[in-house]
Amino acid sequence: MEKKEEKCFSLCSNRRQFLLTSGVATATVVLTGIPGIGAKKVEAVTTGYPRKKIASLSSLKTGKPVEFKYPDNKRYADSFIVKLGTEAGGGVGPKKDVVAFNNFCQHMGGKMLDGGYKAADKAIGPCPYHQSTFDLTRHGIIISGHSTESIAQVLLEVKGDDVYAVGMMGLIFGRHSNL
Amino acid sequence: MTQYYLPKDKVPIPPPDAEVFTTACDYCIVACGYKVYRWPLGKDGGPKANDNALLADFPLDPLGGSGASWYGPNNHNVVMVKGKPHNIIVIGDAETGAVNLKGDHSIRGGCIAQKPYNPSTPTRDRLQRPMLRIFDSLMPVSWDLATDIHAELSKYVIDKYGANAWGHKQYSYQYWENTYALTKLALRHIGTASFSPHDQPGPGGDAIGLRDAGFAKFAPSYWDWAHADVLFISGTDPYETKTVLWNEWIMPAINDKKRKMKVIMVQPRRTMGMAYAEANGGLALQLIPGTDTVLQMAITRQIIEMGGEDKKWIKKWTNNKWETDSGFGQGTRNSPWQWRSTWGKFETSGYDNGKKSFKTWLFKQKESDLNTAAKITGVSAAKIKKAAQMMSQGKGKPTKVSIALEKGNYWSNNYGNTVSLANLAIITGTGGRPGRMMGRLGGHQRGGRGGGKYIRAKGPEKNEGRRKKPIDLDRWLVSGHLRFANVVGCTWVSGMAGSQGGIGDAFNRQTRKNPHQVRSFVKKDIIDTLKKRVDSGGMVVANWDIYLRDPIGSKYADIVFPAATWGEVDFARANGERRCRLYSKFYDAPGDAKPDWWIAAQIAKKMGFPGFDWKDSNQVFEETARFSRKSRVAYDSIVWMAKKNGMKGHELLGKLGTTGIQAPVRIMDKAYANSKDPRINRPGRKYAGDQQAVLKGLEWRGGVLFATVRQHDTEMKLPDTGHPERTIFNKLELKYKSQTGKLNLLKSPWNQFSDFWEWWKPKGDELWVTNGRINEIWQTGFDDMFRRPYITQRFPENFLEIHPQDAKARGIQSGDMLVISNDRVPIQKDYNQSVFSGDFMFTNLMKQGHIKLTKASITAVAIVTPAVRKGVSFTYFQNPHQPANALVPMVPDWVTNRYRFKLGVGKVKKIGESPYKKTFRAFSFARRDIV
Repeated sequence: MEKKEEKCFSLCSNRRQFLLTSGVATATVVLTGIPGIGAKKVEAVTTGYPRKKIASLSSLKTGKPVEFKYPDNKRYADSFIVKLGTEAGGGVGPKKDVVAFNNFCQHMGGKMLDGGYKAADKAIGPCPYHQSTFDLTRHGIIISGHSTESIAQVLLEVKGDDVYAVGMMGLIFGRHSNL
Repeated sequence: MTQYYLPKDKVPIPPPDAEVFTTACDYCIVACGYKVYRWPLGKDGGPKANDNALLADFPLDPLGGSGASWYGPNNHNVVMVKGKPHNIIVIGDAETGAVNLKGDHSIRGGCIAQKPYNPSTPTRDRLQRPMLRIFDSLMPVSWDLATDIHAELSKYVIDKYGANAWGHKQYSYQYWENTYALTKLALRHIGTASFSPHDQPGPGGDAIGLRDAGFAKFAPSYWDWAHADVLFISGTDPYETKTVLWNEWIMPAINDKKRKMKVIMVQPRRTMGMAYAEANGGLALQLIPGTDTVLQMAITRQIIEMGGEDKKWIKKWTNNKWETDSGFGQGTRNSPWQWRSTWGKFETSGYDNGKKSFKTWLFKQKESDLNTAAKITGVSAAKIKKAAQMMSQGKGKPTKVSIALEKGNYWSNNYGNTVSLANLAIITGTGGRPGRMMGRLGGHQRGGRGGGKYIRAKGPEKNEGRRKKPIDLDRWLVSGHLRFANVVGCTWVSGMAGSQGGIGDAFNRQTRKNPHQVRSFVKKDIIDTLKKRVDSGGMVVANWDIYLRDPIGSKYADIVFPAATWGEVDFARANGERRCRLYSKFYDAPGDAKPDWWIAAQIAKKMGFPGFDWKDSNQVFEETARFSRKSRVAYDSIVWMAKKNGMKGHELLGKLGTTGIQAPVRIMDKAYANSKDPRINRPGRKYAGDQQAVLKGLEWRGGVLFATVRQHDTEMKLPDTGHPERTIFNKLELKYKSQTGKLNLLKSPWNQFSDFWEWWKPKGDELWVTNGRINEIWQTGFDDMFRRPYITQRFPENFLEIHPQDAKARGIQSGDMLVISNDRVPIQKDYNQSVFSGDFMFTNLMKQGHIKLTKASITAVAIVTPAVRKGVSFTYFQNPHQPANALVPMVPDWVTNRYRFKLGVGKVKKIGESPYKKTFRAFSFARRDIV
């Protein structure tokens, strides 16, 4: 798997596109040569996300979220990175268990870390406003609640011990555009 | 259909000149108010307030604080308007004056922008043309040909076999204009007794014990659910199913430092709302399915034993025997509520007067004993007692109790459960004062309007004596009496009980297995073939819908009509607190799709019936108004006021926007309407909608529109004389639905149901397979589960929640693929008359050979969770591909003719692993009750 991803980086230029495109078949751009995918049309994605170092693998403790800002320092950029201890969709690190998300509920903008990370279910929430919960092993999909989107995932890459944020999957609450 | 939803990271902004429409959500009964912004493609606005129609600067504030709700990619769509593509965003109205304050929304309504037809989304298979099944394929034809054939065959069946051979099953809720036109055709003109709403085997009420006690089932307002001291909720979790009622009314009342409302929730399964209630001073009563009657009787008895009944209230508001009987004379008591409430099986002599009193009866029942009840219900004696203490009126200051119920309660033991819950309300002084109300929380919105009267006398069945029942249409079908089935906007087959061995079999036998199948496009050939089908004992099926549903449309329909729906035509209806609103048209219906009132009119005219010459939806609406006069949603005064002011009915309703107005709507003199007297200006009035600015100048000869905050408002003062031109006051405004205006305390004998329950309950390695709604999916998933990639990704298939111990015993883990089967699903297969007492009891039906046992099985993906109690599993109720109703007995409550939908039973077996077990894109196996 690691090898496939390395190959993908060279072909698609960043991990974001790998995450966004694996197994997908919708509209506009044709990417070829991704192992296991073949030639498929994929949705065009916004480019221009910054590459930002946000943590080091060795400093992350299982089940302890660490806050950072991404993709900028503006309103609603608050995000968190957490080592789940089990493999997760979009996870990085040797166990593919390190994931990062924007901190705002896509329902009405509650701060998810105020609801807390729940290690037993690898879930964030409940949202302090209206109790939505999200599954961090599955790209932040809603477990139960009201959000019309998954909690926005910050896409990660690892180089050595350093963890970089390289893109976003999903629109950040409050904004009309992530950038 | 992709499981891989990729959210966009941008949304377009409406320009300052975008058009704005108001509407309400199409789905659950709460009906949140929404705004639709519409503008031509390529003319987007900008993120500064001056540059957009939201008048707000991006980024937007949380909780609608910018005056507009934030919206994501699922709030946006592209639709056609007069042939030109337009952007729309559909967002919760942050400025609404009621219901979804701050623009709150559920995940269902929040995604409703994805409902409109757009060929680049999974809505591309919307039905757009009328079709006929020819050479075993559904082929597009003209409206003229399709309606000709429908009308001709309908006439033939009615003339030759009688009106009861022409069956009609329709949604009860999809807007007043449509339900009125459909029932005008089926009931007023065709006059069939073979009629049933989408979710029941026949017409009539649902929470029937409430009606017999005298309660109107939607009397409370949402304000009331937020102003009790103790809110008892049975058979539903509004967090999951009436989301914004929970979010904006119930949860804030729990959290309010002054009010600190306590919620007692009763369900077999621990849901998010139940967990939250318990964590905040409330109580979770996780009972064994079907045992609510016993639980409610025990709580009632405990309250009386501790002296906690509301003595003054009971004395003032309950009937003694003479009062219950009065007004009937010696004649027949032929309407079901009359024969039930005066039948010795259920009637009492009043609260505590004599040997036949309610109290004497209750204390004699062993099921009301604390320890016996604990054993039957699986709820500990301590918890039953605690619930009684919380609801007791024995302390100095009265405890304001409100009681809410829904299908988990009334779809297991319909009569016993609803009667015993009504009794619990009466003895706690619940049901007639602000914050002390009793009612249903609701499922669908209230969009039923009768265009004709159901003639019960033509129904084929009665209980012993002269106790006529409405038809059981499913049994009428299964026993071969239908020759034409007209199915409008509902999933007859999977929507009903025993759907595989009973109804599914019957449809297949009477349609596809009949030798007479159409193999020609010549009209005469088509008609002749279908007549031969009918004459050989077969059946013709017409299905009106927005998508081709499986199996009723895809497998059985001979005629398919494409319907226009929400957003495509102006429509009106009410929500669960009787709030009336206009649902505006904002885009063109796809292809040839037409509203159901239009389709009904074409058929009616071709059958020769008068009164179907409507030009538009508003004309239908205005005609329906007079038939609403006696109902809980009386809106005739809205139309009257509109006409006096030179407006159309829809137009005035539209001006009331997302706040709408709470019915019954009356005309009152201004002085009365503007009075600050608390007996007139009732608690909760600020949300009622009759004080909106738009109504300020709208009057007629000193009269203005006046809303009803709650029915049975016993402390309210009506005017001595009303407005001279409109003086209609319904008794239910201040009193109850009985001939005296007082309440009946009735018996709820457990043994009318327990023979069935004992026979049916899980044996050996069977589990209860109960079912219900969840937050993410609306109904049969026709919009969301199947046509919204995000929701499809969340629930690509049906699930079964199973307790860890039950899972372990069967070698099951989360993500495993299961088969749930049962080879003893009982089907009540034929019609017979009850002559001797008890003929319709389950034991006797079995003995007399009226029950056949059938096989059923469905699949599901396992979610192992301690949220369900041991021995009980839970699945979504209406996934058409994995229809949980197959495991439900097709044996309705013999007293009320209502199914026991929540009492499924089955054996659960692993057949392998689902693809979701070890991948990360779709599904989630995390528990749903994290607090």
